Amino acid sequence: MSAKKEQEKRREERLQAEEGAEGRERRQRMIKLASATAFLAIAVVLVLIVISQSQTDGGDTDLEGTAEVSAALKGIDQRDLVLGASTAKVTLVEFGDLQCPACKSFAESVVSQVIDSKVRSGEAKIEFRSYTILGEESVVAGAAAIAAGRQGRGWDFVELFYRNQGFEHSGYVTDDFLTEIARGAGVPDLKQWNADRKSKRVLDQVLRTASEAEELGFGSTPSFAVEGPATDGLEPLDFPESAGSLEEAIAQASG
Amino acid sequence: MTVPAEGTLQRVATFVATLGIGVAVYIAIAEADGGSPVCLAGGGGCETVAKSSHSELAGASVAVIGIVGYALLLGAALLRGDAGRMAGFGLSLVGFGFSLYLTFLELFVIDAICQWCVASAILMTVLFAINTARMLRYVGTEP
Repeated sequence: MSAKKEQEKRREERLQAEEGAEGRERRQRMIKLASATAFLAIAVVLVLIVISQSQTDGGDTDLEGTAEVSAALKGIDQRDLVLGASTAKVTLVEFGDLQCPACKSFAESVVSQVIDSKVRSGEAKIEFRSYTILGEESVVAGAAAIAAGRQGRGWDFVELFYRNQGFEHSGYVTDDFLTEIARGAGVPDLKQWNADRKSKRVLDQVLRTASEAEELGFGSTPSFAVEGPATDGLEPLDFPESAGSLEEAIAQASG
Repeated sequence: MTVPAEGTLQRVATFVATLGIGVAVYIAIAEADGGSPVCLAGGGGCETVAKSSHSELAGASVAVIGIVGYALLLGAALLRGDAGRMAGFGLSLVGFGFSLYLTFLELFVIDAICQWCVASAILMTVLFAINTARMLRYVGTEP
């Protein structure tokens, strides 16, 4: 028998010897202590769960569609609020208001198709501009999107905002809501994002977009314009009936 | 059921806790600066989980909390006697319970699965089983 096995055998014998009255009493004491430990451990887990829940219950902001947005935009370049390869010859510009229900519907059913068919392939890039027609909350939301764009997460922010859009003017666009969207969009530096979105420069940029949209003759959202080798600068488009209309406009603009 | 010698349980717990530290350190490094771990089987699950609000607890990264937890479990595995047995049992029960909660969040709230988090949950489950066996069989005995 090896020395190790012999040692284990001796230990087993000793353990059996300790099963005497004194040993049993000690073990019972320790089992009671273990039960208290288990109780304490379960209490610690419950506290951790309460802390975890409290940080997401602040504004009823459990996000919808985080995985879908992440998957839809995965692998596509983005900088500021431009999605797609910088080398793409055609730029499709969407003038949208993050609070606008029609924009949300367009984002999910029309723009998503154009992203798949034209942007992912490198044929076109698409730019989101906050044309805020629904008041102060839209300005705050638009500024937050621009600030997210500065960290390469603008489109994640816009898409995620739409998927979690509330009823317009209902007061849901709170700091907590915007922060939750930014976090879900993967904005890496929330402190910088907070500073950017409140800066005069970014707020001015949102307000300037309204003037640009009006100069193009737009009065509602979403509105679209296109620029490419075959256009004379940024040209407004008629309200698109479908993704096909936008795809056709992109094809024509590319010459 | 035959319970292995306490030394064997301690050695296995040491090994598993060390693996856990490795997994948690990888996740923490990958998540630094807004990144995310690479899901080896593809898909965006790891990125989605890393970017969800649940990847932090009271401002601290869950991965960093994991590193601390596994380090404490490693200490408990190396500690002899009832102090080590109790500490290992209590800590692994906390880790196991919290891992169950995190797995629930992945499945039903975040709607995405991160393989690294699943790996950590499995390691924590193994540690809980080992530490429970160690405590039930050997508590109150001389080391």
